[in-house]
Amino acid sequence: MKISCLQENLSRGLAVVGRAVASRATLPVTQNVLLSVEQSMLKLSATNLEIAMTTWVGASIQEEGSITVPARLLTEFVNSLPNDTIDLTLDQGSGLLEISSGNSNAHINTTEASEFPPIPTVDDGIAAQVDPLVLKSAITRVAFAAATEESRPVLTGVEMKLDAGKFTMAAADGFRLAVHHGDLLNSVSEEMSVIIPARTMNELNRLVGDREEPVEILMTPAKGQVMFRVQGADRIEIVSQLLQGTFPNYEQLIPQSYTTRAIMDLPTVLRSARTAAIFARDGSNIIRMHLLPAEADSEPPKVEISARSEEVGDNKDVVDLDEIEGEEGKIAFNSRYLLDVLAVLDKGKVALETTTSSSPGVFRPTDSDDYIHVVMPMFVQW
Amino acid sequence: MRHIIHADLDAFYAAVEQLDNPDLVGKPVLVGGRPENRGVVATASYEARAFGIHSAMPMKTAAYRCPQGIIITPRFSRYKEKSLEVMSIFRDLTDLVEPLSMDEAYLDITAVIESGQKPLAVALDLKRRIFDETGLVVSVGVGTGKTVAKIGSDLDKPDGLVVVQPGEEADFLAPLAVNKLWGIGPKTAERLNDEGIQTIGDLACQSLDWFTKMFGKRANNIRNKAMGQDTDSVDVRGATKSISSETTFAGDVGNEEVLRHLVEQKAVGVARQLERNGLKGRTVKLKLRLSDFTTFTRQTTLQFHTDSEEQIKNAASTLLELELDPNRTFRLLGVGVANFEYDSETSEPTDMKERQLPLFTY
Repeated sequence: MKISCLQENLSRGLAVVGRAVASRATLPVTQNVLLSVEQSMLKLSATNLEIAMTTWVGASIQEEGSITVPARLLTEFVNSLPNDTIDLTLDQGSGLLEISSGNSNAHINTTEASEFPPIPTVDDGIAAQVDPLVLKSAITRVAFAAATEESRPVLTGVEMKLDAGKFTMAAADGFRLAVHHGDLLNSVSEEMSVIIPARTMNELNRLVGDREEPVEILMTPAKGQVMFRVQGADRIEIVSQLLQGTFPNYEQLIPQSYTTRAIMDLPTVLRSARTAAIFARDGSNIIRMHLLPAEADSEPPKVEISARSEEVGDNKDVVDLDEIEGEEGKIAFNSRYLLDVLAVLDKGKVALETTTSSSPGVFRPTDSDDYIHVVMPMFVQW
Repeated sequence: MRHIIHADLDAFYAAVEQLDNPDLVGKPVLVGGRPENRGVVATASYEARAFGIHSAMPMKTAAYRCPQGIIITPRFSRYKEKSLEVMSIFRDLTDLVEPLSMDEAYLDITAVIESGQKPLAVALDLKRRIFDETGLVVSVGVGTGKTVAKIGSDLDKPDGLVVVQPGEEADFLAPLAVNKLWGIGPKTAERLNDEGIQTIGDLACQSLDWFTKMFGKRANNIRNKAMGQDTDSVDVRGATKSISSETTFAGDVGNEEVLRHLVEQKAVGVARQLERNGLKGRTVKLKLRLSDFTTFTRQTTLQFHTDSEEQIKNAASTLLELELDPNRTFRLLGVGVANFEYDSETSEPTDMKERQLPLFTY
């Protein structure tokens, strides 16, 4: 193998696949990055066996071949070089990869490419395309609700359903549920549903960044894999194992009615919730919301957002609202769950729908029907 | 206005022994474990107290200070019998009786006083009845609150009678040492003394800010008590705060198997006592004393109130495992259960507790 490429390009490629390099060495070779030549480009691949990432770097190929080298060493070395041409030459006899650039010259021990776990490819299956902004927004609003502990493995994933020209993402831990509907750029021929690890979704969100080209999704449930292809200045493929199992039937967890519906200005209510969280964190992390319909026409409806802790003290914000429909309502939330949902909705207005103090609270942005977030309350004495 | 009596039987175990065996009358009687088994004095008769003997003193020390002392192994079932006789006389006077132990109780006699009797007469009458019907001597304190009544009963022992008139509580308490006040332990008393506070009167005249700094959450409570304004009610239900069982070993025990077995045995005993008393507790405690006399308690709080042998055994055993060490030998081991269902100060019924509700009902 003998190739030349620009330091800048190689460095960027290594940074991308570096996210898939195994951090713990169950299989030591997974701490390496696989270099190979494909379509007249240098192909970089890494995998931690749950997720695999591949990207391509423009290069001039003098001699084809493939080899693996320790990812961290290579990345740090390349990052230390000036932005200039780098020559990579594999010496078949010694098995050393020679890397030279300007007056720098290094030799790195290698492991044969044949020892690297095969990077799964997904060529067939259901293909869908989605706008990168739509995808990012969906992941941001859903993935955080996935469980982080592994007692029910399916809950550590995001359920992704494709149906005609629509997709639905859903995630739930034991206490909250987030569901987002979005449009695909094409229409899929058959309905399909898979559970993708939330970690994969978060990596995808990061890689999509501010790209504008559609993201391609290829699902092969039969092989237990999903692939995302991110286009742009460079191409990245992420292949992830799917989580096996049945995702809970969450439709039945979404209340169909409410007795109180409060329309709240997001920045204002988020600020008050953050203030309350300061007091809640020293107690039992409880934030109480008391929804008070207008008592007279001249009075606006209000929400009282309060928290108290035996040791620290208490705090109460009274926030004027645009509208409360229905009766007085009282609901208490774990402060983290409340802050999480308010933070991802971030601007505009949100509707909070409640029924009783011990039935789920439902958050919906007022400007679209795309998103619904259900949070189970804390049981407290009012 | 409330009127509370604190009644405390004098040298109770010893008095029962003297009652049952007239030969012992007028002699130093030491009820407790044998000195060769590291026993301690449970009760010493007043004749023995003259030699500087007090309860909880090692019997060996007591026997050394008072060689003529007559050591008697306790007969708890007999004491319980006499205690029940006394308590039933208390209950004749009022329903509001809060027994603190076998020989001690608070009585709320507000109704009796409101019916026209004088506190002094009620107290004298009670003392006489108890002596006539049980042969035992009781010291009595009367006041408008528990604090004053309890301090009163202790002030004039044995055969004491102290009546603190309404309005005189603060004056009564003022000259007394600060450690007499409920809630002021030896450590706190030391700290207070360092600040120049010797008497309850010194304490009572401190500012509220000072109390808050010193006692935190307990500030108001202690301040009110120091000023003689004690509103704690006679708690009929809270009679029993914990049930426990402990043993001082004849020799230091390091054998882990023996210790595990003992913990289980104690746990089963406690569970049975709970069951007999219709009580369920949430906090399981393990008390240990090392060979160097270091004494400590480890405790764990269960999810639910229980009187189950299995659960108490498991909890106590887990606590023990954490303390076992090849270099440690133990001289005392005890298992206890507290935090009872009705004990609203420290627990609420589980279904009233603040908790996160689940999304799925599996």
